[in-house]
Amino acid sequence: MSAQNKGGAHPEAHGIGRYAIVYAALLVFTAVTVVTGKIDLGAANIFIAMAIATTKATLVVLFFMHLWDGGGVNRLVFVVSVLFLVVLIVGVFGDLLTRLPITLPHGGPIEGQPGMAVPHPPAQH
Amino acid sequence: MSSSDSSSHAAHGQGGAASAHASPWYLAHHFDNIETQNHAVRLGMWLFLGTEVLLFAGLFLGYTVYRWLYHPTFKAAAATLNLYAGAGNTLVLITSSFTVALGYHAIKENKIRKCAGYLAVTIAFALIFLVVKYFEYAHKFHEGQLPGRHYSYEGISLPGANIFYSVYFLATGLHAFHVVVGMSILAWLMFRVMKGKYSSQHYVPVELGALYWHLVDLIWIFLFPLLYLI
Repeated sequence: MSAQNKGGAHPEAHGIGRYAIVYAALLVFTAVTVVTGKIDLGAANIFIAMAIATTKATLVVLFFMHLWDGGGVNRLVFVVSVLFLVVLIVGVFGDLLTRLPITLPHGGPIEGQPGMAVPHPPAQH
Repeated sequence: MSSSDSSSHAAHGQGGAASAHASPWYLAHHFDNIETQNHAVRLGMWLFLGTEVLLFAGLFLGYTVYRWLYHPTFKAAAATLNLYAGAGNTLVLITSSFTVALGYHAIKENKIRKCAGYLAVTIAFALIFLVVKYFEYAHKFHEGQLPGRHYSYEGISLPGANIFYSVYFLATGLHAFHVVVGMSILAWLMFRVMKGKYSSQHYVPVELGALYWHLVDLIWIFLFPLLYLI
């Protein structure tokens, strides 16, 4: 079947083992992100959380969504859309970070007060 | 497509022809063969998924900007969310992604009942997700942690608290809408699988429905840490 590799997946050369492995990895990463999310590491928290989320997403996209198996143009489409997401965020922050502070709400990012109000404890339903 | 073959004009899509070139019912007449059709159809789906990524990009941008501006407020507001509900829902969606992948694998191997079963399980997990979300939303309604001018929660005195909840409702609301759409698509596919429309010869529609569902999972994989784990 000559056109097999061009459009994407083809009759599975693999069993379901790879899905099970990816699933197990996703569970582990979820546990890791919850645990590290509760530890206060300051600015590192968001980077760790995003790194783990990106890893999980990559696993889902490559294996559950079959981008690993084939279809170069499909990979290109997905990567480009993610690229534009990055361009959007970087572009907007390029504006925000180079503004006169007075043009930002509250003059810029607010500082937390040490004695800030304690949020209502979440009711456990 | 101008074959000047003098023998029977192999009917395009008109079933019935006894020649070896009778095209299957699922082959559209403007495609030469099923491989080309599958190729085009998968690309179309990926293009659509690209647009979905860009759709949520706007909301993620909104979150990013306001988190930068109101970091302590967002931290405090995130603490009011139920981490167990969020983490539980993450596990539910990841598992549903796994089961839909198994369903896709099943139809590729012509295991009709297995495929339908996996799709049913996926839909069940989606329902669990929505039920948990319902309880989370109900709690917020109760506390007044609502978007826009309906905000009446007093627990956080820092500026920008209402913005967190607006972003929360917009992002998870749009996501939940996608969950409902995904469930509907999977249900439709499940019924067609049970009716015998799909097989190891024609399974691409199931593949595409599964792709949409994986995207729903993908979006939540990012929403969860950003909203619950700040």
